[in-house]
Amino acid sequence: MRIFRFVARRLLQLIPVLLGVVVLAFLLVRVLPGDPVRSILGQNATEEDAAAARARFGLDQSLWQQFLDYLGGLLTGDFGTSIQSGSSVGSEMALRVGPTLELVVISVTIALVVATLLGIWSAKRANRAGDHSVRIFALVGNSVPEFWLGLVLVLVGYSILGWFPAPNGRVDPDTGLTPLTGADLVDAVLTANGPAIASAAAYLVLPVLTLVVGVVAPLLRSVRASALEVLHSESYAAAKAHGLRDRTLHYGYLLRATLVRLPSLAALVFGTAIGSTVLVEYVYSWQGFGQWALRGLLYRDYPVVQASVLVIALCYVLVFLIADVVHAILDPRVRL
Amino acid sequence: MAELRTVPDGPAAAPVVVPGGDRDSRFARRMIIAGASILSVVALVAVFAPLLSQWGETEIDAANTLVAPGGSHLLGTDGNGMDIWSRVLYAARLDLGIALAAVALAVVVGTLLGLVAGYFGGWLDDVLMRVVDIFQSFPTFILALAVAALLGNGTINLIITIAAVNAPAYARLVRAEVRSLRELPFVDAAITSGASPVGVLWRHLLPNSLTPVRVIAPLNCGWAMLTLAGLSFLGLGVSIPEAEWGAMISLGAADVVGGRWWTSVPPGLALFVCVLGFSLLGEGLQDRANAKRR
Repeated sequence: MRIFRFVARRLLQLIPVLLGVVVLAFLLVRVLPGDPVRSILGQNATEEDAAAARARFGLDQSLWQQFLDYLGGLLTGDFGTSIQSGSSVGSEMALRVGPTLELVVISVTIALVVATLLGIWSAKRANRAGDHSVRIFALVGNSVPEFWLGLVLVLVGYSILGWFPAPNGRVDPDTGLTPLTGADLVDAVLTANGPAIASAAAYLVLPVLTLVVGVVAPLLRSVRASALEVLHSESYAAAKAHGLRDRTLHYGYLLRATLVRLPSLAALVFGTAIGSTVLVEYVYSWQGFGQWALRGLLYRDYPVVQASVLVIALCYVLVFLIADVVHAILDPRVRL
Repeated sequence: MAELRTVPDGPAAAPVVVPGGDRDSRFARRMIIAGASILSVVALVAVFAPLLSQWGETEIDAANTLVAPGGSHLLGTDGNGMDIWSRVLYAARLDLGIALAAVALAVVVGTLLGLVAGYFGGWLDDVLMRVVDIFQSFPTFILALAVAALLGNGTINLIITIAAVNAPAYARLVRAEVRSLRELPFVDAAITSGASPVGVLWRHLLPNSLTPVRVIAPLNCGWAMLTLAGLSFLGLGVSIPEAEWGAMISLGAADVVGGRWWTSVPPGLALFVCVLGFSLLGEGLQDRANAKRR
């Protein structure tokens, strides 16, 4: 019951934060240098053409009027119309969120598993060769530029070995995949399209690997640190002194206590991964949310930028909320 | 194995007993030495780039575009006919310079804000911390993209962009430190003996609250460099023909599919090694700081 009250309170607290984000994003795009309609008009457009285009998108109205219109639209679930494409931002975004979420969720999940296993393994061997190599690996993962790693993986995996498809999309168009959610692997499984499953999986390998390397490093460091803390704690020493079996010590004491920290770490890393996808999608022509938002930013497509900022902020705060709830479930000491 | 170790001089001149800490600190020391060596080499390369390269930073060899490594071009040329080896060396100037300047600016601004917020508290503290909250409710790279689009490129703007994204973290760190330091007797003593608020802040709180900052800053430099390169890669940072690693990778990105590795692999490798230098240094310093706290 307490958890429901906590969630309800946090959701209520979200409203002012998101309202702040809406205002900030609205103002941010309008102070950006550059004119959103110029880029769709071309070289020879006259001042009248520009004025007409501005009127079409309501950009000739007062700032207040524009803001109220935008806010009114948001309340009815309308994100506005893209200046570049002329189509609804909401439906465009719906096509883009799936692919990116697929990439991020798979990568973060793999990274969590790898980091937990390696981090605990490393902590148990603190300051020995195995531990040192894990730590160096984490430093390498922390230091490698993801977009460059992506290119190197393309070079090796596609250009040299030819094992993986070219970085030109998410699934082979010849497989005739019917899009449902936008997450191609999920769609392929749902429609039981065998060739599309294989193709979507093959396209996923390199971008997922790229993201995992970047994301696993901070997780690994934190898991190792919290496992070390548990190993040095009095409760663990007491349990060990009582002669508990290794299995019980490992699963009941070490693993459980280490995992308690994991949800909040995962949330943090989820945010980092969203930032990284902008670069990784660009390398692999993933055509996901990150590339869409970046294009919006570069072309000053106001409604697109506003919508993507809002969605990123919403994702971020929701993920942290979920993390807090999971933390509370895992750790009975936490009082919400 | 507990062992009594004495450090000859430096800040920790007293004998310290670190359980099992000898190996630990040896590893930390090795990381610090490795990181510092890498960074010294990069700094030397940045300074002596003209002596180490036979082509200029933006010199174009129009007859030889996209040639493979070998001959008069040690690492080949890019699509514009510029020498990769020379540009990789020259790029150290801009990358290292912007990253260091941005982190320095972030430390100064963040520390000042944190000091003021932590010492005076009240509405000022509330406002500053809410602003920090908003900044920190976005993934940092996304924030950097937005600020870069806002300010436009150019060296100074990039420094401001990266500093702006990082300053909130320092503000929060220093504020927390100041709030706990403020409760200590020595601050009370200074105040009762008639020191002015500025005096207390400057002489007592500032030096003491900088300890965590010193540990975070090197790691942050590496991150700043990755951000700069990422922005340039997407066309929001340094642009060609200036030599910068991220912009060079971006220019060579399309060649990779055809197997032409030399336009994008060397600048990325240089970037990676340099960031690794910062990471090693930062991690080593962090280890050392943790050992001291224990």
